[in-house]
Formats: sequence, C-alpha cells, structure tokens
Amino acid sequence: MEKMKMMLVDDEERFLLTTRKLLEKKNFEVLTASSGVDALELLRTNRVHVVILDVKMPGMDGVATLREIKARFPMVEVIMLTGHATVESAIEGLKSGAVDYLMKPADIEDIIAKSLDAFNRRIDIEEKIRVARMRKFMKSPREIIKDAEL
Amino acid sequence: METSEYNKVRNFILVSMIIVPLIPFFLALLVGNHSFSRSIENMTIEAMERISEDHRQMIESFLDERTHDLELIFNTIDLSDLVQPQTLSSIFQQLQLTSSAFVDLGLFDESGVHKAYHGPYDLSGKVYRDMPWFQQTINNGVFVSDVFLGYRNVPHFIIAVAKKQEDRTWVIRATVDSQQFNHIVRQIRIGKTGEAYLLNRQGVLQTDRRSGGNLMETPQERLPLSPEDTLIHTFIHQVPGGEPFLYATTWLKDGNWLMVVRQEESDAFSALRSARMPILFILLIGVGCIVAIAFGLTGAIVRKMEHTDSEKALLNQQLIGASRLAEIGEMSTGFAHEINNPLQIISAELSLIKVLQEEMIESRELTTGESYTEVADSMNQIKTQIGRCSRITASILKFGRQAETRSERFDLAAAIPEIVSMVEKKAEVHGIRIKHELPNAPIWINADVSRLQQVILNLLNNAMDAIIEHRGSSGGTIKVRLFSGNNGLANINVSDDGSGIAPDNMEKVFAPFFTTKPVGKGTGLGLSVCFGIVQQMGGKMEVESTVGQGTTFTISLPLE
Repeated sequence: MEKMKMMLVDDEERFLLTTRKLLEKKNFEVLTASSGVDALELLRTNRVHVVILDVKMPGMDGVATLREIKARFPMVEVIMLTGHATVESAIEGLKSGAVDYLMKPADIEDIIAKSLDAFNRRIDIEEKIRVARMRKFMKSPREIIKDAEL
Repeated sequence: METSEYNKVRNFILVSMIIVPLIPFFLALLVGNHSFSRSIENMTIEAMERISEDHRQMIESFLDERTHDLELIFNTIDLSDLVQPQTLSSIFQQLQLTSSAFVDLGLFDESGVHKAYHGPYDLSGKVYRDMPWFQQTINNGVFVSDVFLGYRNVPHFIIAVAKKQEDRTWVIRATVDSQQFNHIVRQIRIGKTGEAYLLNRQGVLQTDRRSGGNLMETPQERLPLSPEDTLIHTFIHQVPGGEPFLYATTWLKDGNWLMVVRQEESDAFSALRSARMPILFILLIGVGCIVAIAFGLTGAIVRKMEHTDSEKALLNQQLIGASRLAEIGEMSTGFAHEINNPLQIISAELSLIKVLQEEMIESRELTTGESYTEVADSMNQIKTQIGRCSRITASILKFGRQAETRSERFDLAAAIPEIVSMVEKKAEVHGIRIKHELPNAPIWINADVSRLQQVILNLLNNAMDAIIEHRGSSGGTIKVRLFSGNNGLANINVSDDGSGIAPDNMEKVFAPFFTTKPVGKGTGLGLSVCFGIVQQMGGKMEVESTVGQGTTFTISLPLE
C-alpha cells in the first residue's frame, strides 16, 4: 500500500521542524510550508495526500489557502488546525471542503490519527474511482478503445 | 458629592425655605396686628370719650335744671311775696318735689342782706355783700360754686341767681346737695379700674374718687391742662412709680370744673392684650410649621439627592466594571490564542523527546533506571501542565467569545428543573438538597439555552463547593427560585448556605482570573464567563453574600 504523504502548513518554523521529525520517525513522508503560497507551490510539484493547515497565518490565511487547494487539487485532503477562537473558521473550513479539524495544542497522536483517517478516506475514494473505471472497462471495451483513441 | 457640598445645599435650601415664607407671614401678621391694635385703641378711646361726653351732659343738665328752678322762682313769684318766710317755705316744698337736692333757700337784696331764708340753719339778717360768690352773682347774673362740706359734713355747693327789678337787684341762693351728681359720676365703671371724678380749677376733688381720694382733697397727680377749646381731651398720663392711665377730660360749668374719666392703660387695652395672645399663638405655630416643614423637606431633598448620587456612582462603577471586563475579555482572548501556538510547539517537542528517548533506550545509549523513571514522571508532568494551560486558554476563549449565539424562545420554568437535575446526583453524594421554587405560569424568554445552562450549572457548582467548604459532609441546601419581576425581567436566584464571600472579595467575584479555590482547582473564569454571557443576553447578574451564612446570585433576564 502506498505510504501516506503529508504536508504541514504553519507559520511557526519550530513547530514544522519538530512535527516533521516526529512524523518522519513514525515513517510518514512529510513536507512543510510556512505559508499558503509555499504550500500551493509545493503541491504543484509534489504528490501529497493530507495537508495539515493552520487557520491563522499571516498573508494568505488558512481558509483562503484551503479554497485554493480544493480548487486546484481536489483530491488532496485538508485538516484544519485551529485555536478555540477560530472554531468559526474551522466550521467555515469544513464547509469549504476540509475533511476534519484539530484543536491546538494537538497531540502528535491525534494528528496522526486524524491524518490516517483522512488518508484512508482518500484511499477509499481512489479505490472507488479505480473500481468505477474497471467497470467501465469491463462494460464496454470499445469505449475504452475510443477513449484511448481520443 | 462631598459631604460639605451636601451641607451647603442643605443650608441653602433650609434658609430659603424658612426665610421666603416667613417674610410674607410676618408682614401679614404685623399688618394685621397693627390695624387690629389701632381699631381696638380707637374703640377704647371712643368709648371713653362717649362716656365722658354723656356724663358731662348729665351733670351740666343737672346744674342747668337747678339754675332754672331758681330763675323760675324770680319769674313766677312777685318779690313782695318772696320776702315772706312762708312763701319761701312753700316754694322750697315745691322745689323738693322736683328735686330732693335742695337743702336750703335764701333771698338777698343787692346789699347782701339775707331777706328771707328757709332751711335748717338760722341765717336771716346776715350780710353777704363782700362775699366773692355774692359779687360774682351780681356781676354775672348766675353763680355756681365749687363743692364744700357743710356743717353736716355733707358735700354741698351753692347756686345763686340775680334778678334786677325796679332799680333793685335781688339774689336768690340755694344750697344743693352734690350727692346726686356725686352718685352720677361715681356710678361710672369701665372695666376693672375705670372711674370718673370731678376736679375744680384748683385741682381739688369735687366728688369722691373710687380709687382713693375723698371729696375736697387734692390728688397727687397734676394732670396736663386741657386746652379750653377742645371738647374732650384724651391722653395717657403716668404718675412716677404708678400705673399709666388713659385719661379723657372735659371741661364743664364754663370751664370751672374738669370731669376726668380714667382707666389704667393695661386695663383699657386689655382687649388688645387678649387679641395679641392668639396672634402670638399663630406666630409660634406658623413659625414652628414653617421651620418643621423646611427641615423635613430639606432632609428629604438632600436624602433623595444622596440616594440619586450614590445610585449614579454605583451605575458608573458598574459601567466601568462592565467595560473593563470587556477589555479584559478581548485582551485575554488574544493572549490565550497566542499562548496556544507555543503550547503546540512544547507539546510537539515533548512528543519528540519521548520518541528520541525510546530510540536511545533501544540503541542502549540510555538505560532505564531510577533517573529514567523520574525523567518520565517529569515529562508526564509537563504534559499535564500543557493540558492545564490548554484548559485555561479554552475557558478564556469561551469567555471572550462574542459571536455564535443561537437565541430561541423557551420556558424558563421548564428549563430550570432540567438544568438542576443534571447536578442532583452530584449534590446527593455530598448530602446537599436542591430546592426549587417555580411559578405556575411559564416564563418565556429569548436566549441561548445551552449558554444559560452553562451559567446556571456554574452557579450550582459554585454553590455546592461553598457548602462543602463550609459544612463538609454534613450537607446543606441550595435554593433555586424563579420569578418574574415587576420590571419586565425574569429573575433567577441561586442561594446557598455555604461559606459566603468576604466583603473584600465582593467586588472581584466577576473579575477574570479571580478565584479563592486552591491552585489548580479553579481558573477564576467561571463567574466572569457567566457574567459575560448574561450581559450578552441583555441581562444583569448580581451577588449578595454574608460570610458564614451563604451567598445569593441573582440573574435578571429580559422577558420575551
């Protein structure tokens, strides 16, 4: 099975560094970005399953970044990381396509657990897509040929 | 306001309220008193004048009548008859019929020789030519003497009338008993001391005087002489060392006698004094009323002012308190949020340390000994404290949270028992009874049920803590009372019989981070969060407490 690839987006460098180390120790592939723009840039060139996204960031904030991610990379699952005061924005994030949210300070176990949930959901969806494609293939090979021709 | 300022206001109002009504009051009384006194004085003097005038006329007419009697003799009886003693006797009898005042009757020729006499004394043949009365009679035609005491020690005076006939002048003389007009004068009584008497020109008493002084005596006092042309002269005269008298004097007998009517001034004007008593009484009562009302009203006004001022001060304090609370709320929210980031990092670092430790143990760089256990314990403590910090920030953020309330219409009378039932189990464990007192009718309000629930649960928990602190396991009672007040508010009272709040702490109970609970047990945010929530609902939250007796929190919420 494919290994989970994660990306942490936060303006706190030390948080990125430590959490990345921790996750890597647990055998996850981790990318970090300290702003929304960096995150979008990295997503363009790297395959990522789950993004942990801080809501409150200078410049492009979490919700704006989330919308951009969902617009450009719909298959990427996003988990919002939020303080209590920004539960509102977490809700807004969920409405805009985030899969879950985490309250600061979050335990590494929680981060991993929620990320895995998101990852599994992602895998699930991908599996469904694969099955759907297979069915299509089994139903009408011609169409596949047509598709291939197209 | 300062106490001295209140005193200033009090004095100002008091002085105005006393002086302003007193001025017209005094003026009215003075004017009334003055005109009243004047009219009483006038009436008294008029009465006196009338009496003296009446009596003057009575005496004058008595004297005139007697004089006319004598003139009548001359006019009706021939002189040749008159010299006969029998004729004079019969005339005397006649005169006695009209007036018993005549004592004797005598006839004289111009040389003063007694021609005929009828009377108790033998005076015939005596010569009177050089007597002053005889001369005056010849000259004036009529003479009336002053009073003298006769041989019988009875007051008398004489009346003599002269008549010219055929070159001869005759004089008829009668002695008259003055008892009669003595009686007329004496009978005059005015008040207690009012009296009348006659004086001659020399100031000798012509009648008795009731207040002392017999006929023919000369009273001590020298009255000021009345001008001849005035009919009646009234004045006040005082003998040194004696009472002042009100006098009315009038001349009679062509200015030979002075009739004096007098009365002690205090007696004459006693009506004035008795009229002054009620005026004085009215004055005292009036002044008393004005002063009492002034004091009463001033007291009431100043008390009202003090009350209003203290209410204003309290309101200001509450406003300041509320705005400060809002500021603190805003500040601490930002603070709490910022604290979460470092907490997140500490938490992550801690997790990393744990992972690294495990790795080191695996690679035998580290051995699991006593020190390791202690480090592990210490790290667990860090984790616990991070959790505590996170709970504090969570409460702060809850406290500062402004938005996201979902108001709905609900019945407080139904909601409160539900909320109370949530803590009943916990209360039972500690032997605490929770009583509720609810109205029969529903009380509808518009608010966020869950937040109100949070507030009431908080109050109930505090109440239980207070009871446990004060009574330990012996338990206590919490009363929850709901009633709709008269000012469009629904009131919820939560009372306990716990330890109470020290007076010093009363002001701080709603302040964030204020707690009397031991470290780690309370964040000091519960009541300030409650306060914020109630305020957001448009309500009020108040506290009353007595140390050792208990505390009552009152929440007032606007009715629907």
